[in-house]
Amino acid sequence: MGAADDVLAALRASTPFADARETLLARIAALGRPARFAGGARIYSAGDKADDIFVVLSGRVEHAFPAQVGARDPLKRLARGGVFGWAGLLLGQTRRLATVTASEPTEVLRIDTESLVALLESEPLEGGRVMERFAAMMQREFALPATLMHVRRLSGPLTEEMSTLGLTMYRLSLWAKSPRPYLMLIGFALFLGFWYFAVEVWKLPRFREMPGVTTVVKEWLSPSPTYGLSIYTEEYYQHIIVSVWRVTKAFFLATVLGVSFGLLLGWSRKFKEYVFPVFEMLRPIPILAWVPLAIVMFIATESAVVYLAFLASFFATALNTMLGVESIDESYIRAANCLGANRWQTFRHVIIPGSLPFIFTGLQISIGVSWFSLVAAEMVSGQYGLGYVINTSYVMVRYPTIVIGMVTLGVVGYVTSALVRIAGDWLMEWRVRELALQER
Amino acid sequence: MSRGQISIQDVVKVYDPEGAAVMAVDHCSLDIEAGEICMIVGPSGCGKTTLLNAIAGFHEITAGRILMDGEVLCSTERPKSEPGPDRIVVFQNGALFPWKSNLENVVFGPVMQGRLSRKQALAKGRAMMADAGLTGVEHNYPGEVSSGMRRRVEIVRALMNEPKVLLLDEPYRALDSLTKSVMHEALLEIYYKNKVTIFFITHDLEEAIFLGHRVAIMTTRPCKPKKVLNVDIPHPRDYAVLTSKRFRELIEETNDAVHEEALKAFQAGEKEG
Repeated sequence: MGAADDVLAALRASTPFADARETLLARIAALGRPARFAGGARIYSAGDKADDIFVVLSGRVEHAFPAQVGARDPLKRLARGGVFGWAGLLLGQTRRLATVTASEPTEVLRIDTESLVALLESEPLEGGRVMERFAAMMQREFALPATLMHVRRLSGPLTEEMSTLGLTMYRLSLWAKSPRPYLMLIGFALFLGFWYFAVEVWKLPRFREMPGVTTVVKEWLSPSPTYGLSIYTEEYYQHIIVSVWRVTKAFFLATVLGVSFGLLLGWSRKFKEYVFPVFEMLRPIPILAWVPLAIVMFIATESAVVYLAFLASFFATALNTMLGVESIDESYIRAANCLGANRWQTFRHVIIPGSLPFIFTGLQISIGVSWFSLVAAEMVSGQYGLGYVINTSYVMVRYPTIVIGMVTLGVVGYVTSALVRIAGDWLMEWRVRELALQER
Repeated sequence: MSRGQISIQDVVKVYDPEGAAVMAVDHCSLDIEAGEICMIVGPSGCGKTTLLNAIAGFHEITAGRILMDGEVLCSTERPKSEPGPDRIVVFQNGALFPWKSNLENVVFGPVMQGRLSRKQALAKGRAMMADAGLTGVEHNYPGEVSSGMRRRVEIVRALMNEPKVLLLDEPYRALDSLTKSVMHEALLEIYYKNKVTIFFITHDLEEAIFLGHRVAIMTTRPCKPKKVLNVDIPHPRDYAVLTSKRFRELIEETNDAVHEEALKAFQAGEKEG
């Protein structure tokens, strides 16, 4: 009788069964079969068939997740009342996730998972509560990433390490399953709806003169557009290509020069003392104020336009890179020194990768301001490009074409900015993985 | 063979921010024998990290000198030593490079110094990680494993360089007490295999007595040894020591001294605030 009481007390000490009624507890205990393991004995290994759930009665076991599970605390010790072997409770999971070894002579209670589930189902109210406590325990005590657990519920176990592409696809599939894309569509619908009603139905003051959404879409998709620009005209693509090419040149130049300049600013105190005050004085000058000088400096309008787009990008990139270098924790640099890295090696292996997160924040801003100043420059001078389209359409009263130019800029700008983000994720895989574990 | 014997002689460190001289370390002398675990106990901000920084070569000293195996690391004439792979620091908040995988972190030292080829370093790194129970996480990034594992990787990264001294600056401060006890045993296990001198800073008296051959209890600002305790519990030790009678006695013997300093630090803090 003493042994049975002891089993009940151990179940009572465990998280999932802690507040089950005495009668339910007795029925669970009745399902259990006691077993003994010598110190050092393997109880089961990851990949074994997941059949029983275990409750520790006495002794200690070591519970270890393989790295690819992504548990926050891969190693755990369990003593009396500790519950393990719950993988079989996860949907679609038939194999052990962890490896469990007895670290000293250990006594456990084995409970067949299917019988336990059947028992809990027969008591829907209390059984449900026990299952909830199981889920909470796995989250809290075993610190499994919820997203990974969720994946395992939907598909098979994750055996291979996630590649960057796999991670992107995985995020994409999560995104498609979440309400976010539908909320996004509703957002767009509201915006277009408002545009339609405000301009074409209610004819609100100030909106009356605007080109309506149907006019713009018709013009945009028309094989023979009234004002000469639609997706069927070659000219449309010519403008896009010219603008994209200019931004590419400007952005590339700004990245190469801005990152090196910023690294130097952050790395060398002396250089910063010479250069930074001048830099800080030039930086706030609005890009439009540079237009006349740019035209004087560069006889060819093409270079002047690229120069203006470059300038704004350069400042954003350089400043963020410098902040990135300064943000690096001093102990990384000290650790590198301790480990015998020289100045150049420290720069290459600590300073550059350490400032990448800031650099890419800078590049996100930089690509945006690059488009901004490009369009401004194209409106003032230039013969092609989306800014030029918008400006000439205004002068020649082709209002729908203005909107076509604007929307195209929005789309192209978004794509370039997404490309920068993808490049960043690719270069900073470590960060993507860290954030994924934090469910962000 | 004498490897990693550290001699701190009459070291003084005065911080002088804007003329207001603050004496952090006052004529501190302490000898650390080769191959021993020397625990430095003192309240937060008592100046013990200043000592560690002087040995590691991160900060200058104002006066006195520090020797390692008879050679001068730093002295009044040459106040700052060069950091190097013979004295490796394990930092309070951990300093594994988050952008390198655990294995890449481990091989960093020998590869940078050109002591081993990349291939040799990788082989050695794998073997040492396996030895420390870190198989399976070689290609994970530090951010993907638990904080306890990160500390172990960091210690392995240090040991890859065959240092004379390991300088540990409250490495387990941020860990919960359960993980901490696992980490203590792991550290001892690594120590028994490598027999490197360990200079370990902590404010946790139990941790100090459990791990150390000797425990130096420091006074608070200025910092100098107040009492040096010989821990006569034989090594190898395991967690059973924690409940032994001798362990309790040693705690009782030193608790007052530590408490007194903590109180002083607290009152000094109040005055400043």
